[in-house]
Amino acid sequence: MNEIDDDNPYGYAPAIWRLFRGAPNAGVFADGTAGVISAEAGTPAARSVLRLALRIDGDRVAEGRFQAYGCPTTIAVGAWIAGWCAGRTIDELRRLKAADLREALEIPEDRAHCALLGEDALKALLTRFQEQRA
Amino acid sequence: MIYLDYAATTPLDAAVFEAMLPYLAPGGLHGNPASTHGPGFKARAAVERARQQVAALIGAEPGEIIWTSGATESNNLAIKGTLEFRGFPKNGKPVHIVTSKTEHKCVLDTCRHLETLGARVSYLKPDGQGRVTPEAVLAAITPDTALVSLMWVNNEIGAVNDIERLAPSLRERGVMLHVDAAQAAGKLAIDLQAVPVDLLSLSAHKLYGPKGVGALYVRRRPRARLAPQMHGGGHEQGMRSGTLSTHQVVGMGAACQRAAERLDADAAHCSGLRDALWARLRGIPGVLRNGPTGDSAGGERAAPHLLNLSFPGVEGEALRAALPGLAVSSGSACSSATAEPSYVLRALGRDDETANASLRFSFGRPTTMTEIGQAAATVIAQVAWLRALSPLPGSR
Amino acid sequence: MPIYLDHNATTPLDPRVLETMLPYLSGPYGNASSVHRYGRAARDAIEAARVQVAALAGAEASEVTFTSGATESNNLALKGLTEGRVPSCVLYGATEHPAILEAAESLRPHGWQVETIAIDRAGLVDWPAFEAQLARGPVQVAALMLANNETGVIQDCARAARLVHDAGGLFHVDAVQAGGKLAFSFADTGADLMCLSAHKLYGPKGVGALLVRSHVELLTQLHGGGQERGLRGGTENLAAIVGFGAACELAAAEVGQRVARWTELKARLEAGLRALSGITIFGNGSPRLANTVQCGVAGWEGEALLMALDRKGIAVSSGSACAAGTGEPSHVLIGMGWERDIAFSAIRISLGVATTEAEIDRFLAVLAELRAQAVAA
Repeated sequence: MNEIDDDNPYGYAPAIWRLFRGAPNAGVFADGTAGVISAEAGTPAARSVLRLALRIDGDRVAEGRFQAYGCPTTIAVGAWIAGWCAGRTIDELRRLKAADLREALEIPEDRAHCALLGEDALKALLTRFQEQRA
Repeated sequence: MIYLDYAATTPLDAAVFEAMLPYLAPGGLHGNPASTHGPGFKARAAVERARQQVAALIGAEPGEIIWTSGATESNNLAIKGTLEFRGFPKNGKPVHIVTSKTEHKCVLDTCRHLETLGARVSYLKPDGQGRVTPEAVLAAITPDTALVSLMWVNNEIGAVNDIERLAPSLRERGVMLHVDAAQAAGKLAIDLQAVPVDLLSLSAHKLYGPKGVGALYVRRRPRARLAPQMHGGGHEQGMRSGTLSTHQVVGMGAACQRAAERLDADAAHCSGLRDALWARLRGIPGVLRNGPTGDSAGGERAAPHLLNLSFPGVEGEALRAALPGLAVSSGSACSSATAEPSYVLRALGRDDETANASLRFSFGRPTTMTEIGQAAATVIAQVAWLRALSPLPGSR
Repeated sequence: MPIYLDHNATTPLDPRVLETMLPYLSGPYGNASSVHRYGRAARDAIEAARVQVAALAGAEASEVTFTSGATESNNLALKGLTEGRVPSCVLYGATEHPAILEAAESLRPHGWQVETIAIDRAGLVDWPAFEAQLARGPVQVAALMLANNETGVIQDCARAARLVHDAGGLFHVDAVQAGGKLAFSFADTGADLMCLSAHKLYGPKGVGALLVRSHVELLTQLHGGGQERGLRGGTENLAAIVGFGAACELAAAEVGQRVARWTELKARLEAGLRALSGITIFGNGSPRLANTVQCGVAGWEGEALLMALDRKGIAVSSGSACAAGTGEPSHVLIGMGWERDIAFSAIRISLGVATTEAEIDRFLAVLAELRAQAVAA
């Protein structure tokens, strides 16, 4: 994790900057951790890939992790979702939309695709969760 | 903040500032250089002294120096003025320009504008070292070619075009040569008595002079002819009108004089820093050096003040944002706002992702070895951090 | 200390303006187009200056484009409005600055019909002739100066704007000499474009502005880099722009007291001139700038008188500095219909914020002395 010791010379929204520089919840779960579901969205060619991993205990998320290759906003979206999911129910996760991400992180119009990437990664993860349950 | 963006702009040299100050401060040196009275004559004398200083840096005559508001205006005047003087577009004759895809944006924009008026423009691709060779230029010449416009030093990677060899060949063929020397002046020795360039653009703020002033060298023998692009008052031999900004012109003169005096020392200082930074950063797995390596044994020339590196596996914007204490550039400052990957890097064979993950470090007189050490440590740490964050295979 | 009475040619930099510029001259500010930290600070400073310039001119900040000076602004206005269009007619006042005159004339080879707007002996637009001219055919743009650089005569630009707009044309105002010497508003004049220069109002040389209303379609004349919203390429001249802004702010705050002072000094100057014989004050009955007097001095050539005054340490001019030394009489006075010999005899005295009564008196005394010597010789 980075030390947050500098102001924000490129003028990112404060929440984005904080989450990018701190990158809380970055990383993966140790191999063999029980109840982990992961999924990803995006492509290297589009220069943004977001992978989410959630440790799910019953109907609730116990813990979230993310990995990201992309711009600071993409990294911030990953960090935010991984943190937000912890302690929430699967139903709550289903209701999270790109618009909520944009509002929470003050994501500008020209970076709306980063919020969509977050929504897509979560959706993919929930689909996989559904498949496993079924 | 460690500033390693001297190719974008340099701070004003303290001695240059001292030279300018009397023309800004009270004391009667504020006259209009065009006025025919005492205060005007004093200003005029300062302007002419500065003209000599600029001429001396490039081996020109003072009468061959036209003041402008900067390299952008110089490039516009050179290219549009040459074509217009030949009657383009009114006379309807076909006109052809040869330039390269890696020119500064203002040259490319000017050429694109002339295309809309009917000019034909060949945008040459650089070779694998980022150079446009004399052979490639000569092969593109047609009977309609009115002008070749080529930069001396590429502003992104520091590749040096062989203007010394190109210029005589174009002279033989009767084709005008314009050279954008904004990144070359003060970095490489330029002697226009020996090299038959017709038009050459200079910028003051790239060599520790003030912003807002530049010059266009216009050869007298044989005379390069231009149609003025800014009318009114007939200043600068009718080629560029407008009240001269005495303090800025004086600043450019002083900056050029200092650049001439320090040419070898500056080049040695900068190339030493460049090599030291590369020595540290080449240890990063996968790092790629873009452009010439300065290996003179291979006949390859490199500008001393630039180092351009690609860091595959990290995203470019995140990389720059992860280095908030480091002022570096992702290419030409004038196009940083556009997210397009650099054409120069593409021409070197870098794919879009790699080109995007590139940084241009550029060094100047104030840069210290301590700063280089700090910059290297930060870059190494942040590239490692971003790669650790990435889900892509092989990036960890 | 020499006496400087040529403030319409250029003004000394206000020391307070220099103070605002210093951090941007010697400080570590980067290229204003670079995205990193210094670049952001530089951009903020440019935007603050834009607001200051707009405030002086009664314009919106978004209407301000920075240029290298009034010559570039005037060229950008006329060429940017005509390039790529079907040629029609371009009109400019017979007493315009060479930057307008020559920029307009350069359009002729491109098929444009270029005509002068008749100016009368008092320096004012010949309104019936102007109306008739506008009625004759489509006009793309007409250009007039708000205040003349030589005579100081102030033109009714709002009236001209209405007429030009009624004829379907665009109206450009050269407000270089009016800036800081006259309260005016871009919005109220009804002009579509207007230019200003910093070094005429105690700001630095090498920077000016073109004000452009949002409805005006203008093509860039300096290609490259996309600065100034694509209208004007080139790295921004940061320190000069900051100084221009500061000079405009000071001018806006002080224009009232400056004009009041000049009005008194000018009355003293003109009374002194009238006491000498053979003096003609041009534009005498017309509204004029408070700091400007142009007069003919019978029996003298303006250039010779200027040099004689210069030897006595007094700087005046015989007309525009941009036409100095050409050996031609003032095209302004010729444009007003004055005869060549009287036009040849003209000198221009232009007062500044630091001009004193003692300087005026000294000038009058030297002028009287030179005339006496000339008569004796």
